[in-house]
Amino acid sequence: MNFVKGYLIPRLLQYVIVTFLGLTAIFFLPRLLPVDPIKQQLGQSQTFGVYIPPEQQDEMMRILRQLYGLEGTLWEQYVNFWKRLFTGNFGPSFSRYPVPVVRVIAQALPWTIALLSFTTLLSWIVAVVVGGIVGYHRKSWMEALDVFVMVVRPIPYYIMALICLILFAYVFPIFPLSGGLGIGRTLKFDLETIFNVLKHAFLPALTLLIVGFSWQFQSMKLIVQGVKAEDHVWYAKTAGVEERRIVFSHVVRNAMLPMITQLGLQFGTIFGGALVTEMVFAYPGIGWILYDAIMKADYNLIMGIMCISLVATTTSILVLDFVYPLFDPRVRYR
Amino acid sequence: MEKLLEVKNLSKVFTVGTLLFRVKITAVDNVSFQVGKGEIFTLAGESGCGKTTTARMILGFEEPTAGEIIFEGKSVREWKKNRRDFLKRVQAVFQNPFESFNPLLTVDDIFFETVRNHKIRTKGAESYIDEILKIVGLSFEEIRGRYPSELSGGQLQRASIARALLSEPSLLIADEPVSMVDASLRMSIVNLFGELKQKMNLSVIYITHDLATAYYVSDKIAIMFKGNVVEMGPVEEVLTRSKHPYTRLLCESIPEPDPEKRWEREISIADTEYAEYLRTGCKFAGRCPEAQEICRTVVPPEISVDGVLVKCHIYGEKRG
Repeated sequence: MNFVKGYLIPRLLQYVIVTFLGLTAIFFLPRLLPVDPIKQQLGQSQTFGVYIPPEQQDEMMRILRQLYGLEGTLWEQYVNFWKRLFTGNFGPSFSRYPVPVVRVIAQALPWTIALLSFTTLLSWIVAVVVGGIVGYHRKSWMEALDVFVMVVRPIPYYIMALICLILFAYVFPIFPLSGGLGIGRTLKFDLETIFNVLKHAFLPALTLLIVGFSWQFQSMKLIVQGVKAEDHVWYAKTAGVEERRIVFSHVVRNAMLPMITQLGLQFGTIFGGALVTEMVFAYPGIGWILYDAIMKADYNLIMGIMCISLVATTTSILVLDFVYPLFDPRVRYR
Repeated sequence: MEKLLEVKNLSKVFTVGTLLFRVKITAVDNVSFQVGKGEIFTLAGESGCGKTTTARMILGFEEPTAGEIIFEGKSVREWKKNRRDFLKRVQAVFQNPFESFNPLLTVDDIFFETVRNHKIRTKGAESYIDEILKIVGLSFEEIRGRYPSELSGGQLQRASIARALLSEPSLLIADEPVSMVDASLRMSIVNLFGELKQKMNLSVIYITHDLATAYYVSDKIAIMFKGNVVEMGPVEEVLTRSKHPYTRLLCESIPEPDPEKRWEREISIADTEYAEYLRTGCKFAGRCPEAQEICRTVVPPEISVDGVLVKCHIYGEKRG
């Protein structure tokens, strides 16, 4: 009971407050800009040679304001913003008018989530296991792995992605060059489609796995080395604790805590997409959509993606806070 | 006094630096000493003088580069074959009580683990643990189900000593056991070693940089400097009539709680710690107020003066 009152409820409150403040910031920040998006858009159209009769200009501005949710005072807009948020309505996308923002996001999000959650989880698991072993023991083949990681890590991601692309899609055309699905195909639930999707996802997944693995491997290795040198490990040895138990319950378990935090935080960023990956491989994910929206000043779409990614981040931190006591008894017994 | 542990010409060389620039540092250089049964032997010296490395080699955590360690008539290398038996007889207490216990496990966990692994009791483990904890002034109720973060440093350090005593060892290696404990608790822990010696005929290797507590509790003392034992003998003789200039410097450096007293001598540190390690002659020559030409080139011999072993050229000259 003490734990619920002293730990869970404060976390939940914190979550609600942070999410509320974050969403409020998303609402207010664009409005602090000195640019009026409507005048900007009209001006843009005019520079492209669109003739808007002066008597229709006011009418047009009114319609655009309605679309953007910019009617009324700031307070009315703010209330409206929350209303739209709870009904999951972010208005229509401008660049893809009249498709609603929600549908644009719903189309892109599964691609991103499938790709990123898989690569994040897999690279984390492999890194924790391999990093744990390499950190604890020191053998010559492990040095080789260490060197590989040290060489790979400083390579900028886009360079590595491009190298993979050139090698495996152009020089040896094993995998498709771009996209998430073959041209002319529609998403169907049959073996052939699934195979096609996997084939398209392979290269992006591979590059993300290499990058994710490298840095998590290095941090796990360093943490394990640190924990291994702590006195309690030596002390456990004098207590006659067998090697296997020392590795698991004294070293790896302690080293896992920061790694769990890292995983949790990473999951939160998934909903923001992986822009560079999606651009290099022309993968139809949320990062690509966000980039497109920014380039085309599609405010509703930008707001939609930002809201979703904010809620995803705070939620994953909340989940992290809730599962953490399972691993760290110190939190449980405070 | 019956011999329990004998360290013969023990050396440990560490290689430090990168692939291209490697330097060998002799952390422990040809150290020999003996510890008798029921004796408190102090290894004293500044940080980085090799006292902890010596302790780790005795415990078998570190492989000596050269030399031999003989415990109860058997070499530690032989003991490796039945490591548990060895660890049942030789136990250790570490410097930082907050690090001595795994923060994610309860304190009693390691107690039960010790009892089980060393096959001390099959029944009544709890009352046995309580019995041992009473010796150090704790009770089992105080540590039951507690995590290390819930206990104070003094409690933890006493618990860690109690845990070491569970297997009724004949030798306890205490590596700076009081340096992280409040001054007020320090004496109670040091006294505890004296009591254990009396009651259980326990031998203690007490590693410290605190000469005051060493003087108080130990029988024999060895002063280490940069891997060498520079002076070794009965504690009274070594600390009150110091022979080696380094020991004298150490004794003078003990601050007294007297606000009127001022430091009389400027102590200059001429070399970096690193340079001191690499010196060819006497490693203390850079700081020694009595250094002569010979000190910088020739390693001083070990000379016995009034039952004390001194590694210094001063006494070599006197004899001829």
